Amino acid sequence: MFDALFRFFFDLSPVVFSQGEFRLAPSTGSYVAAVAVGVAVGLTLLAYRSGRGRARDRIALATIRVALLALILLCLFRPLLVVKAAVPQQNFLGVLLDDSRSMQIADYGGQQRAAFVRDEFGAPDRGLLKALSDRFTIRTFRFSAAPSRVTQEDLAFNGSQTRLGAALSGVRQELAGLPVAGLVMITDGADTADTALGDALLGLRAEGLPVFTVGVGQETLSKDIQVGRVVTPKTALKGTTLMVDVVLSQSGFDGQKVTIDVEDEGTLVSTQQVTLPDAGTPASIPVRFSVTEAGPRVLRFRVSPQPGELVTENNAREALIDVRDRKEKILYFEGEPRFELKFLRRAVTEDPNLIVTALQRTADNKYLRLGVDTPDELVAGFPKTREELFAYRGLILGSIEAGAFSGDQLRMIAEFVDRRGGGLLMLGGPRAFAEGGYAGTAVADVLPVVLDRSQVQPKDSVSRLSVKPTRAGNATAVTQLADTEAASVEKWESLPVVTAVNRIDAIKPGATILLSGTDETRRERPVLTFQRYGRGKSFAFTPQDSWVWQMHASIPVDDMTHENYWRQLLRWLVDGVPDQVEPNTMTERVEPGEAAEITANVVDPSFVELNDAAVVVRVTGPDGAVSDVPMAWDGEHSGQYNASIPTKAPGWYEARLEATRGGKTVGSTVTHFRAAPGDIEFFDATMRAATLKRIADDTGGRFYQAGGTATLADDLRYTGRGVTTVEEHDLWHLPIVLILLVGLLCAEWGYRRVVGLA
Amino acid sequence: MLSAWRSGLAIACLVAATSVALLALGADLSTVASAKAEAVAEAAQDGMRRFGGGRRAAVAIDPGKADYDGRFSFVRLRYGPTFDGYSRREPPWAHDYPRADFHFLKILSEITFVRTFIDEGNILTLDDPDLSLFPIAYMSEPGFWTLSEEEMAGFRAYLQKGGFVIFDDFRDNHRANLVAQMRRVLPDARWVPLDPAHPVFHSFFEINSLDIMGYYGPAEWTGIFEDNDPAKRLMAIANYNHDLGEMWEFSDTGYLPVDLSNEAYKFGVNYVVYAMTH
Repeated sequence: MFDALFRFFFDLSPVVFSQGEFRLAPSTGSYVAAVAVGVAVGLTLLAYRSGRGRARDRIALATIRVALLALILLCLFRPLLVVKAAVPQQNFLGVLLDDSRSMQIADYGGQQRAAFVRDEFGAPDRGLLKALSDRFTIRTFRFSAAPSRVTQEDLAFNGSQTRLGAALSGVRQELAGLPVAGLVMITDGADTADTALGDALLGLRAEGLPVFTVGVGQETLSKDIQVGRVVTPKTALKGTTLMVDVVLSQSGFDGQKVTIDVEDEGTLVSTQQVTLPDAGTPASIPVRFSVTEAGPRVLRFRVSPQPGELVTENNAREALIDVRDRKEKILYFEGEPRFELKFLRRAVTEDPNLIVTALQRTADNKYLRLGVDTPDELVAGFPKTREELFAYRGLILGSIEAGAFSGDQLRMIAEFVDRRGGGLLMLGGPRAFAEGGYAGTAVADVLPVVLDRSQVQPKDSVSRLSVKPTRAGNATAVTQLADTEAASVEKWESLPVVTAVNRIDAIKPGATILLSGTDETRRERPVLTFQRYGRGKSFAFTPQDSWVWQMHASIPVDDMTHENYWRQLLRWLVDGVPDQVEPNTMTERVEPGEAAEITANVVDPSFVELNDAAVVVRVTGPDGAVSDVPMAWDGEHSGQYNASIPTKAPGWYEARLEATRGGKTVGSTVTHFRAAPGDIEFFDATMRAATLKRIADDTGGRFYQAGGTATLADDLRYTGRGVTTVEEHDLWHLPIVLILLVGLLCAEWGYRRVVGLA
Repeated sequence: MLSAWRSGLAIACLVAATSVALLALGADLSTVASAKAEAVAEAAQDGMRRFGGGRRAAVAIDPGKADYDGRFSFVRLRYGPTFDGYSRREPPWAHDYPRADFHFLKILSEITFVRTFIDEGNILTLDDPDLSLFPIAYMSEPGFWTLSEEEMAGFRAYLQKGGFVIFDDFRDNHRANLVAQMRRVLPDARWVPLDPAHPVFHSFFEINSLDIMGYYGPAEWTGIFEDNDPAKRLMAIANYNHDLGEMWEFSDTGYLPVDLSNEAYKFGVNYVVYAMTH
């Protein structure tokens, strides 16, 4: 519309004006005319200096007259638009056709987006291809990831990804050295690359190569539900109950109820009914399920396709979780004999993946060791070296005062969280928190609650707390006591009160309260508070007797609330705690044939980063073939090693990372990734006009909608690139000039009529 | 080992010192239980007479009430007819009350880091909901124990959920009654003779031999384990032919050898520490 209007007034395409240079080409007569116009202006001003009418009317009429004379003078000076135009058939044009799966989406006038490509580029004697061929020598490329030369028959629209930047860079390099007028990119713009477009655009801009983008498809799908994102942990202990956030968005299904199913390798493990959010507003839905099988597990989060949906492939998301079946060791240091230790240990005793080793101080300098692996373990009391403490993955401090530790031990505990990445849990008790003298210590820095030595609870003062989950607690698996949020809240409300002897008035800025308690004065107190600190995390659980949730007369014998609570909390305590060799698979899935990038952190037993370790990845492919890939220190981050692992066949790849130093093993660990085609093409698969416009604007090209490419071939002539000739376009006879002249004359006449000077 | 020896020595010293002090004061027991001095003194005098072979015909027992606040309270289990704080004869469940209870609490709090009520205790029936707040309970004279249906259900739940019970002060055919009543509570439970190697005898003091002459004869220790599995939690322990309570009760009088009271306290302390950690 804008183009048509522009052409009506200016007789030329906007591209010509944007690429052209404005000049004047006056003849000798032009200067004579200028003198005449100057005389005419002088006479005009003289005439309107006095006479009839008000002063302001005379000024307005004089202005109109002078403008009219100026316009005439401009035309007499012969204004020109000088533009470089490509010489027909002397230049090349790169045409990039999107061959990815998203081009199968049927939102181009009821047809697939691919239909536009077939219509316009399907035959050399029609459509856009003909228009371009008449002016340029065409080089056609298809792209999804990397570009390649194609004929129309090669297009299958089944590429599993779209990498706009890689395609543009590839074609630019392919056409290097040729007189190229520009590039034309036909795509929906749904870029699936992890990297930004900036680098590719920088190269094009540096070379002055304009990209003319044509967007195919709609910017909003009329009816669609999308599972946009699923946030899952990379690893989990076997048997852990997880609560993950599933981000849903939709259009055309406001308020509709749908079911989110979670499948573990095809087996339904959870189902939950939700109401869809408002259109265009993504909503995060917490979904609860358990991982019961060890090994690499692909969890699929799916919303059943609804009638009328344009894209159903984006109704499901997959996530890889490495489910580990191993025993995680937790050290529980309790400063006084009390029932909390007994019932906590009992709660997790049936958990095959948790071992709580207890160091129970029974009297001054007298300890009882429970659950130790060797006769020497903890024989000298609480660990005195980092190597000894860091062998545990979680640490629970019961009612044990800060004075029971040396200064170095307190720093070790802080480093256990910060550097080792372990989980710290402090339990309520008369010797815990500020009452236990922790304010101002290194441990206080780590805890998620603020300790103030001047704000301790009076001795023998006990608060009785009714505990309930906060909003954050309701969205966390650790505080879920039933299958649904409503049932869980009801369960919490039915639990007996617990007692607390610690005064906690504030939490740290980055901390989250998951459970809160109401005391006898209706005051809210934090009960379970959590924060991430350094590489690890810390918890504060303020009651001194959660065992009441097991023993109380109102609790049935077979009730598992207490057991479930502690299993979930302790599993979370050790969740994600790193090993000495800790892999971070950057991509859990790659396309078959692509390389998987793996990074790993390597540390010594006291978790100091090692930069001189020999690290090797032993890769076992789906066909059983084994290969060793060395990992190299990245030279930038201490203790971080990188490797690129090639893939061939689709399937699971096991990567066993082994680190040695000086001939001694530092550690080893196993991770997995898979090579498989994905559905990423169908996520956020609307036509990305903003992205395509940015490409065009940054490179000096133009963006077109698929239905408005009529001027594309002509516009391409004026990029100024390649073999060109100079064209001069006279501007004095443009329709807009005539309209202005007539308009000014009419304006003067009309004004006179209105003010009575006609 | 050194710590155990030191703690044992501390008990002996404490017991001896308490005995001498109280004897010098003419066995004025008001210092032991100031809150209930009158009742305590009366019961104590009754106990002393009993130790000499006599019994009072009528007794008044303050049931006591230690409201739960997180501390350990000595819970004495009451059974039999409804009790209003007064009995024509000292009921068997009340034997050694209250001096045994409070003496034990005092020793426990001095020797260990267990936070306890000192001069308050609880006397609770097996179907009392408050019993669940005190996972260790003590029963005297189980040979006379009788159970209502409600008590049976309450006690079963208490043990299954994690409670621990000490049966003390019984001999001869009293054991048959204990076994019979416990069969009603836990029909599948088996009494298992305890070995000196069991953790309950090493939780605080190192008790390496059970070859002990009890109050009524050679003592035997038997227990009931969770799921009848000796590797699992000990839920109940019975001191057959023994009377720890009696020895705790008179530990401040000099009527009994210090060594006997000393050993009795060791068993009691170990029971509590074990039950708090296992």
